[in-house]
Amino acid sequence: MGEETVSEQAPAREQADPRRDRPVHVWTLVAIGLVATAIGIALGFAIDWFPVRGSTQADDIDTVYHVLVVASVPFFVLVTVITLYCVWQFRERPGEEGLDGPSIHGNTGLEIVWTTIPAILLIGLCTYAYVTLTNVEEAPAAGAPKELRVDVTGQQFAWTFAYRGLDGKPVKSAELVLPKDRSVKFQIRTLDVLHDFWVPEFRMKIDAVPGITTSYRITPSKLGSWSVVCAELCGVGHALMRQKVTVVTPERFDAWIRRKQAGGMAATGAAGGGGAADATDQAAIGKTLFAEGNGEATACGACHTLSDAGTSGATGPNLDEVLKGWTPAQIAEAIENPNKDVAKGYTEGIMPANYGDTLTKQELAALVAYLEKTAAK
Amino acid sequence: MISHLRAPGWYRATFWTLVSLGLSWAILWAANGFDADAVTGIGFAQVALLAFPLFFLGGLGAFDYWFYWASGRPTRPEDHSGHGATSWQDYFRINTDHKVIGIQYVVTSFFFMFVGGLMAMLMRAELAAPGRQFVDPGAFNGLFSVHASVLIFLFIIPVFAGLANYVLPLMIGAPDMAFPRLNAVSFWLLPCAGVIMMLSFFAPGGSFASGWTAYAPLSVTAPPGQICFTIGVQFAGASSIATALNFLVTIITMRAPGMSFFRMPLLVWANFSTSLLVVIATPFVAASQLFVLLDRALGFNFFNAAAGGDVLMYQHVFWFYSHPAVYIMMLPGFGIISEILAVKSRKPVFGYRMMAFSLLAIVVLGFAVWAHHMFVSGMQSWIRVPMMVTTAVIAVPTGIKIFSWLATMWRGVLKLDTPMLFALGFLTMFVLGGISGVMLAMIPFDIYVSDTYFIVAHIHYVLFGGSLFTIFAGVYYWFPKMTGRMYNEKLGKLHFWMTFVFFNITFAPMHLLGLQGMPRRVADYSEQFATWNMIISVASFALGLSSLIFLYNMVASWRGGKRAPANPWNALTLEWQVSSPPPIFNFDHIPTVVGGPYEYGVPGAVHGVFESPATASAEARQPAGAVSSTAKE
Amino acid sequence: MEAASVHHHGPPAANRSSRVHPALLGMLLFIISEVMVFGAFFTAYFFIRVVVENAHWFPIDGVDLPVGVASVNTAILLSSSLTLHWAQTSIKNGNHTGLKVGMLLTFLLGATFLFVQVNEYIVLTGEGITPQSSAQGSVFFALTGLHGAHVAVGLTLLAIVTLRSFRGHYTPEEHDGVEVPGIYWHFVDIMWVVVFTTVYIL
Ligand code: HEA
Ligand code: HEA
Ligand code: HEC
Ligand code: CUA
Ligand SMILES: [Cu+2]
Repeated sequence: MGEETVSEQAPAREQADPRRDRPVHVWTLVAIGLVATAIGIALGFAIDWFPVRGSTQADDIDTVYHVLVVASVPFFVLVTVITLYCVWQFRERPGEEGLDGPSIHGNTGLEIVWTTIPAILLIGLCTYAYVTLTNVEEAPAAGAPKELRVDVTGQQFAWTFAYRGLDGKPVKSAELVLPKDRSVKFQIRTLDVLHDFWVPEFRMKIDAVPGITTSYRITPSKLGSWSVVCAELCGVGHALMRQKVTVVTPERFDAWIRRKQAGGMAATGAAGGGGAADATDQAAIGKTLFAEGNGEATACGACHTLSDAGTSGATGPNLDEVLKGWTPAQIAEAIENPNKDVAKGYTEGIMPANYGDTLTKQELAALVAYLEKTAAK
Repeated sequence: MISHLRAPGWYRATFWTLVSLGLSWAILWAANGFDADAVTGIGFAQVALLAFPLFFLGGLGAFDYWFYWASGRPTRPEDHSGHGATSWQDYFRINTDHKVIGIQYVVTSFFFMFVGGLMAMLMRAELAAPGRQFVDPGAFNGLFSVHASVLIFLFIIPVFAGLANYVLPLMIGAPDMAFPRLNAVSFWLLPCAGVIMMLSFFAPGGSFASGWTAYAPLSVTAPPGQICFTIGVQFAGASSIATALNFLVTIITMRAPGMSFFRMPLLVWANFSTSLLVVIATPFVAASQLFVLLDRALGFNFFNAAAGGDVLMYQHVFWFYSHPAVYIMMLPGFGIISEILAVKSRKPVFGYRMMAFSLLAIVVLGFAVWAHHMFVSGMQSWIRVPMMVTTAVIAVPTGIKIFSWLATMWRGVLKLDTPMLFALGFLTMFVLGGISGVMLAMIPFDIYVSDTYFIVAHIHYVLFGGSLFTIFAGVYYWFPKMTGRMYNEKLGKLHFWMTFVFFNITFAPMHLLGLQGMPRRVADYSEQFATWNMIISVASFALGLSSLIFLYNMVASWRGGKRAPANPWNALTLEWQVSSPPPIFNFDHIPTVVGGPYEYGVPGAVHGVFESPATASAEARQPAGAVSSTAKE
Repeated sequence: MEAASVHHHGPPAANRSSRVHPALLGMLLFIISEVMVFGAFFTAYFFIRVVVENAHWFPIDGVDLPVGVASVNTAILLSSSLTLHWAQTSIKNGNHTGLKVGMLLTFLLGATFLFVQVNEYIVLTGEGITPQSSAQGSVFFALTGLHGAHVAVGLTLLAIVTLRSFRGHYTPEEHDGVEVPGIYWHFVDIMWVVVFTTVYIL
């Protein structure tokens, strides 16, 4: 068998010589390669696919992307151009059937070149990435405004936020409001499974992990309003686990905090008093619970819009509209057993089913009373 | 009837499967203090899913020989009745012929490719527009989880094992694999794993829906369908460990005389490296799923943070397997490409030794990069930078391979038929996927794009543009050898061009979606991503249709294609020196290897000679010396 | 049957390209993958004992692991490796009695080990340490249980070999049936030393 192959090849090789004289257009290749590289890099730069650069960290990270484009386009172009050139120049033409190529087995010099060049480049890229990483994780320099600390708590399928270290008492909220140009450190926890706290405009993200607290910091650099996105698969409601983040001027932020502190004060005072709270206190407790939750129970406002409580969640039905004419019993049932009668167009299993456990009897009563008063009327 | 139930085969397999169900119930009944009411459906499912594959295999006759051997009874004389196939029915029983097993593997895994692909079609239909089309978010999560698990565990990994099963023993001049019976067991575990994963669609609460990564604690609290993943992976994993062990022993102990390690075809090298990865890494995925199972079924606390468990441990154990697994899904493809490029360019593989060493380098490095999947997981932050460096360094041996392939084509005589087209498609598309991988390795950039469609783009560029292109190339290349028929070249080329074009229209825009901030694993997305998603969905349907061309070509050519000659590609490696399809025992005499496998363009070069052993060993040295002296010049 | 095996056309004998016996190599590779299974369990163990926040190890709620009993049990298991070795040497020299006694002793020592371990489980459970009570309990039971399962498999193999040796099987030339399970048993023993050291001593 082997012998036959040989006898077939022997005459073929004699014809190989004319082919060997065919010129190799090295310079054409280099020129095409350079042009294609230039176009590739230009495209990578010209088209800005990224969302708004909403934090100082975003600037650094986008630069990493651009550097990576510059470093990697040449390699893709190199491979593609050589492949296409081989197809064009070295393809088997009519009459060349049975012809063999030259028996080149290797070339040590070349092999050293294409081992070392990528190696050096990659080490360079890693060093640069390392420097950037330290930059984006760095604490604010001395003299900058005091860093804001926000505790972020994830639960299937909503986030709640708590501001710590303020002058005055801590503030809880279903909506994230941040001051511009002041470093914020998020400390992220979860009550159940993994989630991931991400605002695309800020670029940074990290998982919320049961049992530990994770963190990152950003410095918002643009005013605006965007989405907080959960980026780690957490169950049926994963795609809907969205909330609002708003970056405001420091003055407006302070005002917002003060307003929150004032509103919360009344509620806490009443709850502390316990016992026979009168109707107004009940409503205040209900409103606080709706907008802020109680630490264990996720705030309703994370998912529901209710103008009286100032919330704008869009995951669940808009309670300004749907609650018209509901009885207290119906409302209580919808809170305690959300999966029993699922609102049309919504999926079962999104609204937490554990409010019966995480809210005390009094809290539940207060919430129902509040909703009955503000929305069902 | 009784004799049917005693003889190995489908009757006995059915019977024993039923027995295993009864037994599972009885065990639970006994474990619950003989209280029938205490036996839950889920508990029963867990035990039964673990037990039935073993009983099914036993019934089919997979273990008969070993039972005889272990009990010291005379094993039946080796009449080779379990070897070779004369009719289609022979493909449906325990068969010890590596060629039959190879075809069983390839056909079964392609079946799963269509199943997995169909799920992708459903996903794309849902994602064509924002809002809900026709599946709810829970079902959508189930679709991409099963899509990925089926394509990874039941398609890419086994189809490579199948192709290698067919050609590897032929290539090294062995009459069969080292452990033919174990080989049969490996194969039959696969349909069992497939059935288990498919059963999840019938589970209350829907199919398993926590991604192919099945991160704890979501997988611990998920509805019962999750156990179909947990248990299915155990069997798929056992199957691939057994095959890998078989390949390693075969390669080490059964090479033809004269076939030193550096005369082995690179496909053999590739499977050698892959098998090392499998034997070392796969036990980790088995363990990770066992932990989940223990937490679910028996209330253990591995991932219960409140009781001192560690959630991130799951990810470390899982990725310690699943990163090497991505090379398990790529290295055999590298081997296929080396074969095809050398033959179709009529030139020796450039830098053969570096090609072999770079495979080993990837194996070694592959174990030191797992945490690059965990840059945003909240693990100890000091692990990130070392992992970034090792990950980046993997691009170096991979680059060596890419550049050597380019040099192999340089000045060759390129035959641009279907296998070659897929090989060239692989070359360009894999580089794109590899480059996006290197970008992902850079931590600051990964922090932004992790868990977005940029990752989905990377996955498909390496797995489809990489692995699947090499699989198509390999299937077309060895189709004549495996079936004795030629495939239809026109349809093959059409398949390639449709696949190549629509593959890019489908997956390239995903990079952009990722950069724009579209998260992965979502059934619904905001308005701003709508246009690209529509384009992607339409293109993906065309991509799906292109696979039907392939299916038609394979089926029609197998039944009525032109008869294939023994060596249609004029290749030197041993599998082409025997008839198509090869004789039942591969060789009448074991060939003697006298030179390298790719000596194209070397006058008078031979890889193996087929004389009777006595004369061959005497004459072999002559041409071997001649070849190596020409090779040096 | 006889006729068939005389006339059958079988495959040509494969070339032996390595001095290693295929069955031995197969067993070795299998053991490597077994070691990796244990590796994964050790990973879980170290994460839960060392890495996790507020990690702690036994004593839990005042209950400590019975190091003394476990040490004696370790000695029992290790001595079974010696008796097994004796059995293997005996059959190589054609000493059938040595094989029989050696195998029987090995089996009994192995069974004793397993018995003591089950007893230890029962005691610990009685003191409130269960896989369900804490993650520490989970990995303790998982790791020692994984090893126990291997002992059980090993015992089954040993039982087969012992039975066959009493039936007069095996000769000085043909004793793969003793060797291959023997490798497995030695592996199980060595693995125990590692498990014992990490779980009880460190
Ligand atoms: C076949 C499968 C396969 C292959 C081969 C690869 C190869 C690589 N992968 Fe990929 N990867 C996956 C399958 C694969 N991957 C999958 C399935 C996931 C997602 C899992 C999930 O979460 O579901 C993933 C995810 C993934 C991540 C995690 C992202 C995240 O979740 O945040 C990272 C990060 O580092 C990464 C990196 C790499 C790198 C550096 C390579 C390298 O090996 C690539 C090397 C190749 C080249 C670089 C090209 C050729 C080289 C040259 C031409 C030389 C010169 C080049 C340069 C200097 C740039 N991959
Ligand atoms: C080998 C691996 C492989 C292959 C081949 C594919 C092939 C395809 N994949 Fe998949 N994919 C993965 C591995 C793979 N994928 C992995 C690992 C993930 C991550 C999962 C996770 O997050 O856990 C993923 C995730 C994934 C997603 C992201 C899901 C999400 O995060 O929300 C999407 C979305 O578009 C997608 C699409 C596709 C498409 C359109 C194809 C197409 O190429 C399929 C084409 C093939 C066919 C279609 C064959 C079947 C054809 C028929 C049955 C005929 C019928 C035809 C018509 C009706 C037109 N895949
Ligand atoms: C994670 C998101 C989420 C949170 C948090 C949440 N809900 Fe809901 N809610 C939903 C969704 C989704 C629905 C619609 C599906 C259903 O009926 O279960 C819903 C339905 C309702 C309904 C019934 C509306 C109708 O039209 O049938 C009421 C009332 C309600 N929620 C009140 C509350 C209250 C009060 C709280 C806080 C104590 C709360 N929700 C917290 C998501 C949420
Ligand atoms: Cu929370 Cu996804
Ligand atoms: Cu990886």
